[in-house]
Amino acid sequence: MAIVERPTAPLELTTGATTTARPMGGFTRPQSTSGWKSWLTTVDHKRIGVMYGGAAMFFFFIGGVEALFIRLQLAAPEQKLYSADLYNQLFTMHGVTMIFLVVIPLGACFMNYLMPLQIGARDVAFPRLNAFSFWCFLGGGLMLNTSWFLGGGANGGWFAYAPNTGVAFSPGHGMDFYAIGLQITGIASLVGAINLVVTVLNMRAPGMTLMKMPVFTWMGFVTQLLLVFAMPVISVALFLLTFDRLFDANFFKVSQGADPLLWEHLFWIFGHPEVYILILPAFGVVSEIIPVFSRKPIFGYPFMVFSGIAIGFMGWGVWAHHMFASGLGPLSVAAFSMSTMFIAVPTGVKILNWLATMWGGKLRFTTPMLFAIGLVAMFTIGGLSGVTHAVAPADTQQTDTYYIVAHFHYVIFGGALMGFIGGLYFWWPKVFGWLLSDKMGKWHFWTLLVGFNLTFGPMHILGLQGMPRRMHTYAKGYGFDFWNMVATIGAFVIAVSMTIFAANVLLSWRKHRRHPVAVGPDPWDARSLEWMTASPVPAHNYDEVPTVSHLDEFWTRKYGEDATGKVVRLHTSEEVAQKGDATDVHLPSPSYWPLVAALALPIVGYGMIFNLGLAAVGGVLLVAAIYGWAYEPADDPEAHHAHLVHGNGESGDGHGDGDTGDGDGAGSGPEPAAVGAPSGSGESEEEGSSDD
Amino acid sequence: MRTRRRRLAPLALVMPLVLLVSACASHAPQTTLEPKGPIARSIDNLFNGVFLVAVFVFFFVELGVLFLVLKFRQRKDDPDPDALPPQTHGNFRLEITWTIIPAVMLALVGFATLTTLFNINRRDENAMTVRVTGQQWFWEYSYDTNGDGKYTDGDVITANDLVIPAGQDINLDIRSNDVIHSYWIPALNGKKDAVPGHQTPLRINADKPGVYVGQCTEFCGLSHGYMRQRVVAMSQGDFDAWLDNQKKDAEMPSSGDAAAGAKLFATQCSGCHLAKGINDAEFAKQGHGKDFLVSGNAPDLTHFATRGVFAGSIFDLWQDTDHDGVVEADEIGGTLNRGDLEAWLRDPPARKPMDAPALPERGQGKIRGMPDLGLQEEQIDQLVAFLQTLD
Amino acid sequence: MTDTAVTPAELSQDPAQHPKGVPSHATSTGISNEKLAMWVFLGSDCLLFGGLISTYLLLRHRTVAGPTPKEVFDIPFTSVSSFVLLFSSLTMALAVAAIHRGDIRRCRTFLVTTALLGGTFIAGQVYEFTTFVKEDHLGYTTNIFGSAFYTLTGFHGVHVSVGIIMLLSLFVMSIRGRLGPEKAETVEILGLYWHFVDIVWILIFTIVYLIP
Repeated sequence: MAIVERPTAPLELTTGATTTARPMGGFTRPQSTSGWKSWLTTVDHKRIGVMYGGAAMFFFFIGGVEALFIRLQLAAPEQKLYSADLYNQLFTMHGVTMIFLVVIPLGACFMNYLMPLQIGARDVAFPRLNAFSFWCFLGGGLMLNTSWFLGGGANGGWFAYAPNTGVAFSPGHGMDFYAIGLQITGIASLVGAINLVVTVLNMRAPGMTLMKMPVFTWMGFVTQLLLVFAMPVISVALFLLTFDRLFDANFFKVSQGADPLLWEHLFWIFGHPEVYILILPAFGVVSEIIPVFSRKPIFGYPFMVFSGIAIGFMGWGVWAHHMFASGLGPLSVAAFSMSTMFIAVPTGVKILNWLATMWGGKLRFTTPMLFAIGLVAMFTIGGLSGVTHAVAPADTQQTDTYYIVAHFHYVIFGGALMGFIGGLYFWWPKVFGWLLSDKMGKWHFWTLLVGFNLTFGPMHILGLQGMPRRMHTYAKGYGFDFWNMVATIGAFVIAVSMTIFAANVLLSWRKHRRHPVAVGPDPWDARSLEWMTASPVPAHNYDEVPTVSHLDEFWTRKYGEDATGKVVRLHTSEEVAQKGDATDVHLPSPSYWPLVAALALPIVGYGMIFNLGLAAVGGVLLVAAIYGWAYEPADDPEAHHAHLVHGNGESGDGHGDGDTGDGDGAGSGPEPAAVGAPSGSGESEEEGSSDD
Repeated sequence: MRTRRRRLAPLALVMPLVLLVSACASHAPQTTLEPKGPIARSIDNLFNGVFLVAVFVFFFVELGVLFLVLKFRQRKDDPDPDALPPQTHGNFRLEITWTIIPAVMLALVGFATLTTLFNINRRDENAMTVRVTGQQWFWEYSYDTNGDGKYTDGDVITANDLVIPAGQDINLDIRSNDVIHSYWIPALNGKKDAVPGHQTPLRINADKPGVYVGQCTEFCGLSHGYMRQRVVAMSQGDFDAWLDNQKKDAEMPSSGDAAAGAKLFATQCSGCHLAKGINDAEFAKQGHGKDFLVSGNAPDLTHFATRGVFAGSIFDLWQDTDHDGVVEADEIGGTLNRGDLEAWLRDPPARKPMDAPALPERGQGKIRGMPDLGLQEEQIDQLVAFLQTLD
Repeated sequence: MTDTAVTPAELSQDPAQHPKGVPSHATSTGISNEKLAMWVFLGSDCLLFGGLISTYLLLRHRTVAGPTPKEVFDIPFTSVSSFVLLFSSLTMALAVAAIHRGDIRRCRTFLVTTALLGGTFIAGQVYEFTTFVKEDHLGYTTNIFGSAFYTLTGFHGVHVSVGIIMLLSLFVMSIRGRLGPEKAETVEILGLYWHFVDIVWILIFTIVYLIP
């Protein structure tokens, strides 16, 4: 959001010429587009997507190690490897990490990278805001994890039921970190969601109507809408918890008349849509993979889209099924039981449509396809155990036992993560320009499938045998011993499997370094737009923005019907795809301010916990960053006249605020008088002025 | 048993089968699959029906996947591997069909659910009612013995073992003194949360006399894993005798270690524990436990020795002479499990995670659980001798 | 800012002669990104206030000790300050209308009037809170009503304050001659925010103060 006065005497620029330093309101605008520093200031949706993925994998490692510690303790009865308190911290942080710092950002990774590409846009609507979202997420996630070194992690469970999370029952700082850390990652999700919603609505390529968008983009779009409306609810809950803990407010003090069910309702009104936030992007990924490797279009595209929308809507009406045992009256229980049952219908439609897509195809079992089929097979189990929870009387036996643990791991690990890992294998060549080894990928898949089922399959039995969740240990004589040992072994098989994945990345990269093999734009003979540009995707995405006339636009450009009506290839991928070598496409400029603004938030957070003076420092930094941001044009103001447009005149600068900016080579020039319309707070960044 | 399970381990991939087999195969006293009362049985029947439907869908989908994978794989002997299969985009009728079929199946499941749901939520106001109170980390039971609808000090208060007459409905009014807990005896009914500030109803019914174990299932802090409970069901005659005994005060022992223990109990334990007839005055003077404990409540020990377990039901109080893993009613009052009781008195936080570093001064912070009282071995012997007399 | 489709012809023109604020916004929906983002944000904010208002409704009568709503509220005073805030919506609308007409001076006047009215409302709130604390002994931690009341009205107050800062920023820009007719949409977007905050206040005033 910034307004720039044009330099009165524009300088001539030579494309490619760079200057090192130009003062921008006291700061130098970052210039570099390569080197590690450029990642700090990048506003490129693809690089941000990659960073989301990298950060998620880092947190996946942490959360995975926590899981292994949990399984070690539970391997045998009456083990006391760690104290009950440490165990409570481990399972709390495992849950928080896996949900908020792994699966949500992995979804964000795919959605950030792919949604603009799939709709034929050059970037998201607000590139700097996008960078801010990422840094915010990373800052919040790191802050949450530093609690391990500052007195211990959160110990109230990821669901943090009041009043157990009050100061009286959780006197350490762990829950403070939980409340504030998640608040910060929540801001990240909300800002990112607003950004992507606007992107999808506003920045589609010519001809790309809503019903021509790929299923992945549709599922991403529904996910982002869920985030827009779910995040403020958890924000409210976390604010109340923070105020209770830090400022001695009374929201969850039963002695003051509080009702602990308030937290439960707020948390699950957020928490259940959250489940669909986790799974829908993975559904989208699978809906891209299966058609490509079945070599058929997705079966029943409208049904896939509308079932996704239906899940998005119905997801708001089922939250109290997490509370069947909490003493709601039988009427509410009945209502939520029914709504929960019927949300299985659109989910079932999706599964059957995937199977129908495979029906009559010519299936190629590449690694991504295996993971996609793995999702279908495993998610089905999670979905079916979910139906048994919807049966409220049965749920009162199952809830808070390991049966639930099994259920949601089949949904989130067997569903969301399987899909995302498949997506990594699928889009890896598009992102990096080289393939992951298919052989190691298959090892990865099969070991993961076995390890996963060994770990979580037995938990169904444990739960039905009456083993509650969140016990730091269990006694002999309850029949829990054997299956817990199996689960622990399974957890280590998963660890081995993920090590294979890491080795695959490393070895494939080394192989690529030694013997680079060009993968071409379209290694899989794929269908959607992102495969129509070069691999790796150039910074400007498309040399020229494609005009869309079909669902599966890229595929329809490659194939056609011959005289007999038989589908035949008309063009090779290389003929259709763009070269990605345009040099003069206008791009948004990198910026420091998103990073600085996002950094300020954890400082405020630490300050609120330890020292209000520090919070004030963070606040000042935040305000300064927002003003700096507002006064900085979205695009470097010099060189907008260096804007040459390739092709059909669709150079779109593709980003929200500010002003048209420079081409990739920047020029030197007099300092422009930059004046912004400063926004007053982080939450109003998207409010802003337009161009001049 | 063991080998049978081992052989089954690879089958973990085919979960439903393993589930069924293992359910029968192992000794699991807390299992949800072997109901011991009419309410739990109606839940189990419902679950079994739904489970069958789920197994059917499971095989339909998983075998379907397998079939598709085998049938439609890209074949090596394909004469024209580059030729595309027919590009079907969908089939509206088919899709409507498989939207409606699951919906109808679920509607049937829903109907069964609602019937059972309203059935198990009935409440017979004439049935005996016990108030169940959760706190960190034990369950307390109050019986309204004089029938005035209130639970006052004159009524029977006990802990850990919920004693009920078998073969009839018992109403439970569940509440909490601190955080949310959840009361669960899988063989008798599903669980119900104990929410502070609320009173939640539950109904249990045991077919036969016996001991039914359960566990707190809502995460409630440090010793959540050690918060267990038992239901001891008796014949009506035994129950009446039990209740009559509970109404009496404890008798002050006259001599020996027990008498010394009673004196020690009155000085050392009155801040939190009450044994009616022993330390009523001291207990009242020291604030009924409210001055020291966050939950304001510790187990009433008046008839401590009539219970099978202690310390949140994690230790057996009496020896399990038939080694079936459970201290039954007829084993209560037998041979004392002296080892665990002494160890507990020696250093409670070492046996069970609690937030009780030491007994606080009055008016300072409060503790959760029982602190180490620094008792001498001799004092421990005296207390053990005294506690045994509380029958 | 335009988001797509800037033609070379447009770009080659002197930007000063090409006021794009009157948009060449070729977005898919025809609504500019900024305005759409504001709408989405306000939708999200509805849920924020929805959560806070529900919390207040649930908790306000559960107070076990200390002052109750009935004892502390001074309805006439708050009615006046509510009217002031409502009136500011009118001046905001006039500011938007003025800039659409290209009348920068009027716009500037109305912007600063809106900010002043908002400021008056905040001052009233500060006075009101001070009275509650000093005379009625209702602090933030006194009882559950206090916590819920101050949190709900506090969040609203922060929203108003942010709006005032943005209004003043536009005012300063206009003084420095940097708020031209091409900025009409900026003012309009700020207007959206301001009206939203006002509507939320009507809800809060009705629910918190008027409904017993």
